[in-house]
Amino acid sequence: MTQVDAPTEARGLECRDLQITLVGAHGPVDILKGVDLSVRAGEFVSILGTSGAGKTTLLRVLAGLQKAAGGTAEFAGKPIQGPPPGVVTVFQDYSHSLLPWRTVRRNVALGIEGKVSTAQRDSQVDEALAMVGLGGSANEYPYRLSGGMQQRVQIARALAMKPSVLLMDEPFGALDAMTKQSLQDQLQQVQALTGMTVVFVTHDVEEAVYLSDRVLVLTGRPAKFGHLIDVRLERPRNQISTKEQPEYLALRHRVYEALGLGDGEHG
Amino acid sequence: MAERLLHRVNPLGIATFVGFLLLWELGVRSGAVGSTYLPPPSRVLVGLKEISASGELWTNLQHTLVSALTGWVGAAVVGVALGMALGLFRPLWTYSMASIEVVRALPIVAFVPVAVLLLGFTSKMEIAIAFIAALWPIVLNTFAGVRAIGPRTVEVGRVLRLSRRDQIWKLRLPAATSHIIVGLRLGLTLALVLTLVSEMVGNPAGLGFALIQKGQALQPEQMFAYLVVVGACGIALNAVLLTAARLAFPGQMAAAGDDA
Repeated sequence: MTQVDAPTEARGLECRDLQITLVGAHGPVDILKGVDLSVRAGEFVSILGTSGAGKTTLLRVLAGLQKAAGGTAEFAGKPIQGPPPGVVTVFQDYSHSLLPWRTVRRNVALGIEGKVSTAQRDSQVDEALAMVGLGGSANEYPYRLSGGMQQRVQIARALAMKPSVLLMDEPFGALDAMTKQSLQDQLQQVQALTGMTVVFVTHDVEEAVYLSDRVLVLTGRPAKFGHLIDVRLERPRNQISTKEQPEYLALRHRVYEALGLGDGEHG
Repeated sequence: MAERLLHRVNPLGIATFVGFLLLWELGVRSGAVGSTYLPPPSRVLVGLKEISASGELWTNLQHTLVSALTGWVGAAVVGVALGMALGLFRPLWTYSMASIEVVRALPIVAFVPVAVLLLGFTSKMEIAIAFIAALWPIVLNTFAGVRAIGPRTVEVGRVLRLSRRDQIWKLRLPAATSHIIVGLRLGLTLALVLTLVSEMVGNPAGLGFALIQKGQALQPEQMFAYLVVVGACGIALNAVLLTAARLAFPGQMAAAGDDA
């Protein structure tokens, strides 16, 4: 971390020695301990870990929805106390996250209405809907849409806010494989277009490698980042050709091993 | 809309009802059932024509509906506001919960003589009774609705940085809509019932008094005709309210699993 990096760092996310304790049925449990994280502006970082490792909890701290028990979490150089401006979270459970009484268009407008002019609101909503390819369903109610489309509505709602950071909590976890792949590619395009920072929580190794600039693996109990794996695959990535590259396969291998799911050999 | 209505018609249910009316008619005519004062449906129809032609039906109907609906509308405004306040401000609930439980546990009929004493044999008394009757279900259902908001919906509001005011108006209130509608429907039924009671024992006017009057005048055809009108009122008011709710809040009603 040199001084030259400062302007970029200033818009990024920083965690130092973060500790998160949740109160369970048997008293307080340390979920995460000694977590250091540094996400540069414009970077796509995946947080990977087995079920219950604390991925979602970490993301909730970055989102300002959960208080840390120790250490620091900062966005743009300021401690995160509530949801910071410019940081928007996309939740896994799209059906609970969308407002069933609002049409797609009005769901997408939720975060910006009253904050910008009507004309500005309409254009931001149209732009966000176009980015996720939902322009044609603007006047539908969410319950009439498929799961994949509902999740795109939630992503569009976040995009309409023109965030500098998008926090995504297993956003494609509840979707079928084909829908998942098409949404991965859409997300890739949107990020290329907007240049926003993405912190992406997933338990899907392939997804993490395919989308990310860096994959961070949470291990242990309480968990911390055991491995940081740089992914230098060429962009834009392609579901078929990228996944055939030896480099992709090698990265995938390393990440599986980092999770402790490998075939026994340690690299 | 017409298609949906048509879809809701239940031929078997209607056949059962018509069959019951036929049995009644046959039973009374053959002398198998009944007394001097049980008229067959055909005679009830004649009674209905009589009270309609004389105009007394419309005067009474109007009187009862105006009283019941005035009380109910007042209860809707006060009840939703009170229910929201109780749901949103914890201390308010803590302080008033015991009082609400006690007052709510009192059968509302018990208020009728009290209201008569305080307000006399007036329409004002009827409206007050309808208001009190409708108030509780509306308050309690609104309160339950405000509390029933999902934790995720609250988080969405925070993440999208909605103001406290917007969180109430754009998330909590709409999320409570289906509960509020249930309260309004229950309240409407109770308002109508208690208005009738207050007319029977208090203000001598409207459908409630007409029922008593026709009974005492030994005019069972007309009495039963009023009974039919009262029943039809309940069904019609409920249908109007539900239709209005479906038109005004299509998303909420569908999301609440509305397939009635």
